[in-house]
Amino acid sequence: MTANTLVRRKNTLSFGWGTAIQAILMLFGLGLMINRWVFGLGATTALSDPRPWGLWISFDILAGIALAAGAFTMAAIVYVFNVKEFHPLLRPTILTGFLGYSLAILGLTVDLGKPLDMWHMIIYWNVHAPLFEIGWCVMTYATVMALELSPMLFERLNWNVPLKLIRSISIPLIFAGIVLSTMHQSSLGTLYVEVPDQIHPLWWSIILPPMFYVSAIGAGMCMIIFESTISGYGLNHKIPVKLLGKLAGWIPYVLGFYLVMRFLDLILTGDIGAMFAFDGPSIMFWVEILLGYVAPIVFFSMPAVRKNRYRLFWVAFLGVFGLLLNRFNVSWFQLEGAPYFPAWQELFISIGLIAFAMFVFNMAARFLPLFEEH
Amino acid sequence: MPFKAGSFTEVLTQHGVARRDFLKFCGVMAGTLALPHDLQTQIASALEAPARTPVIWLEMQDCAGCSESFLRASRPSAAGVILDVLSVDYHETIMAPSGHQAEKSLNDAIAAGGYLLVVEGSIPTKDNGVYCCVAGKTALQSLEEASANAIAVVAVGNCAAFGGIPKANPNPTDAVSVMDLVTDKPVLNLPGCPVNVVNLTATVVHFLTFGALPDMDGLHRPLFAYGARIHDNCERRGHFNAGEFVKEWGDDGHRHGWCLYQMGCKGPVTYHNCPTVRWNEGVSWPVAAGHPCIGCSEPGFWERPTYVPVELHEFTPPATYPDVVKEMPAIDPTNAAVTGVVAGLVAGAAGAVAIQQLGKKDPEDEEIVED
Amino acid sequence: MTVDRRDFLKMSGAGLGGLALSSFESSNGASHSPEADEDHSVLYDATICVGCKACQVACKRRSNLPPDLDSEGIFDAPKGLTADSWTVIELYQEDPVTYSFVKKQCMHCIDPACASGCIVSALYKTEDGPVLYDGDKCIGCRWCMTACPFQVPKYQWDKTVPFVQKCDFCSDRQDEGLDTACVAACPTGALLSGKRGELLEVAENRIKDFPDRYVNHLYGKDEVGGTSWLYLAGVAFDKLGLPKPDKIGTISPAKLTWPYMMAVPGIVVFMTGLCTGLYYYFRRGEKTGEEA
Repeated sequence: MTANTLVRRKNTLSFGWGTAIQAILMLFGLGLMINRWVFGLGATTALSDPRPWGLWISFDILAGIALAAGAFTMAAIVYVFNVKEFHPLLRPTILTGFLGYSLAILGLTVDLGKPLDMWHMIIYWNVHAPLFEIGWCVMTYATVMALELSPMLFERLNWNVPLKLIRSISIPLIFAGIVLSTMHQSSLGTLYVEVPDQIHPLWWSIILPPMFYVSAIGAGMCMIIFESTISGYGLNHKIPVKLLGKLAGWIPYVLGFYLVMRFLDLILTGDIGAMFAFDGPSIMFWVEILLGYVAPIVFFSMPAVRKNRYRLFWVAFLGVFGLLLNRFNVSWFQLEGAPYFPAWQELFISIGLIAFAMFVFNMAARFLPLFEEH
Repeated sequence: MPFKAGSFTEVLTQHGVARRDFLKFCGVMAGTLALPHDLQTQIASALEAPARTPVIWLEMQDCAGCSESFLRASRPSAAGVILDVLSVDYHETIMAPSGHQAEKSLNDAIAAGGYLLVVEGSIPTKDNGVYCCVAGKTALQSLEEASANAIAVVAVGNCAAFGGIPKANPNPTDAVSVMDLVTDKPVLNLPGCPVNVVNLTATVVHFLTFGALPDMDGLHRPLFAYGARIHDNCERRGHFNAGEFVKEWGDDGHRHGWCLYQMGCKGPVTYHNCPTVRWNEGVSWPVAAGHPCIGCSEPGFWERPTYVPVELHEFTPPATYPDVVKEMPAIDPTNAAVTGVVAGLVAGAAGAVAIQQLGKKDPEDEEIVED
Repeated sequence: MTVDRRDFLKMSGAGLGGLALSSFESSNGASHSPEADEDHSVLYDATICVGCKACQVACKRRSNLPPDLDSEGIFDAPKGLTADSWTVIELYQEDPVTYSFVKKQCMHCIDPACASGCIVSALYKTEDGPVLYDGDKCIGCRWCMTACPFQVPKYQWDKTVPFVQKCDFCSDRQDEGLDTACVAACPTGALLSGKRGELLEVAENRIKDFPDRYVNHLYGKDEVGGTSWLYLAGVAFDKLGLPKPDKIGTISPAKLTWPYMMAVPGIVVFMTGLCTGLYYYFRRGEKTGEEA
């Protein structure tokens, strides 16, 4: 069964209003970034001493990295579990992942107080710090993904020697990507293990690291469906529903395992009762669990959903939303601190970064062999 | 000529001063000079010594206010005695002789040397200094001649120390201070408008006791009198710390003796010991009387608007305390609104598309065979 | 303090890395005796403090910090610790006769969460006790501000090149054998500096000798694994704005994450092995040479 029912956009230079919007938002975001570098964080964000981390961390870094987990998940599916039919999805997914990590790094250039010193973690070490591990892994993994994507460029440019070289190390790269992802997806959870008294018991757990890891895999798989549907629509290139449906069929197992971990943890710590407190956090908990995990588990288990592109998309959206909500809860909503709404500059820089990622994907789809068999 | 008299005790008796009062005076001087209390005996011995230092007192462009202040030292009488005992050989305002006799006293005293030169008033320099002439000599010339043989020069009053009123804008006579002109002799400044005679007396006592001028700051002012700000010793400082300020003349705060900072008090930037030694034999001082300090011991004080609050440079905590419970920074409503609008738009658009799509069948649906 | 299930899990999580944890270095580099008896420490007795703020002013002078101006620009009036105020005196007052002053500053924890979590080791614990900050290394990630259970580190939000700011325990003065600026300025003896072991004894004796004067708890003895700044007070510590002892617990947060970080090399080996194993497992029976 061929998966190659691809339709390439005929005229690579015919840009629609989607591209235009991406460009405008991107440039506006860039302007705001420059503004932030010149005037400092106090003038351009709503951050403060009792709320030092805000939208950029919760969204760009936590959610961004978690949702980019689709890349290593797809790499594992194709190369480790040898499910060859997903091969056409590999490049776009890895590109999406790479863009996700680039957004995280770009987000850091405005969130860090001294972004020019970002490289310090290379020479100043702290093996106790989760952030150190995350920083190194993100840096290394972004490099790995760039290398994994380089064949796309080399093919286009007909650089055969580098092409052969990269292809010869593709399996080690893939393995490296999986190992690195395992480490930093879970280390993002380790980070929040350090503040048990500041996060509501329904979200804090001593096993946050494996919970972050598993939820990232599940959400990454949802993100593949979500993102490939959007880009398929925008670039007139659709991934076959059968493929997406098969992927969707595995998601309930991943999310189900996550829910087991989550609830078992709550039962063992005795915090399960907080679910029924009917206060703000408990309502937020139910929204996250029901919409973000239960709904995808239930609906992706239904063949009628897995056969329909639209239903696949919206259920995947719920899964993505659930992940977003989880990371926002852990790092913002349920973390003690000053009440906080992002400043409009923060918001539009994040939006600009997303637009940038979409724009790059857009251009890659038009000018590089993103969707071709190789 | 050095004053020659009988024994010091005889002088005291002649002036009707009890020895006990004299010793008390020495104790007060030790306190004013910020010296250890047990030095009062050393001060007493010095003041009783027969050899008394001559003083030449020159008045330049002045109002004689500092001389008037000096004269107020006639009471308590012990201080007056000391200054009599100083052998003031030349003082235009208060000496008895005049004309050629007076000038002869001056020239003899200068020729004899070993005197303390006290200068009152600023020195004009425009047009070779013709704007102040005594006995056919300009003030410039007199200062040069008199300082040549002096042990040290004491500039009393803001005019002599920093130029004072004559130097204020537009300074038509190009008035300058003593330390601008005398560079080869130690110059001590005792600014104030006028000088506080207690500080002059204490300086003299110090000189007589130790044979040296007291320790000075960067503006040549003795630290014992000009080492702390008015603000640091003011009896109304508690009101400042508590934020209790006079806002209008005669208001409730004024009647209760509240801080005059907002009425223009220059206390925070003025170095002087008025709150402790006060004026007119300790009767009162400007702030106690309900008027802000005008900063008369500081250079250029005539340039500063009297009733405009001065810019502070040193800050201290107020009398109040922050609460243990912290106020959280408020959410900016604009931020909340923008986030709300954007989130609403995204949710709305997503919802609209979702509703439209979820009923539809995908064309590919039929081809799928469940495996 | 009773151990509830959450603490149990926390502790067992901490035990993941091995039972040798208690003697292991748990912050970046500096090792201490577990009891840190020799560390420089200060005992603050809130019942002796009269709220004169001499310590606050002395700290500003010694550290050359700019004022936190009030709205009229007349006073240096911080509302709590700020980037420009490394120590403040705050007031808890219930009614005219029920009140207590409290001094706030960095607690210089024995096993600081900030130093453990700092990506570049810009914050680090020294042998003698002070937790110091090297601004040159700092990249401005601000995790320390979240990690600190006492919310001590503050940030220079208004600067283009901002740094974290907090009390440095006057380590340069301490190296010269001097007291910290605050301790030296205190006129009533509310601040007492010494070796931690000695101060623990002094404090416990005070509680014993004057049980009606003090709340029966030495704050900082065990909180988050122990701090160098110890507090005695006549009112409950949470009323003074200090985190409740049973909220922050007696285990340093650094000990919660270290087992996970220690496991990293193991995970690398494990995952590589797993990937390799599964790779070959799912290709069993395939002809070799086929494109992967």
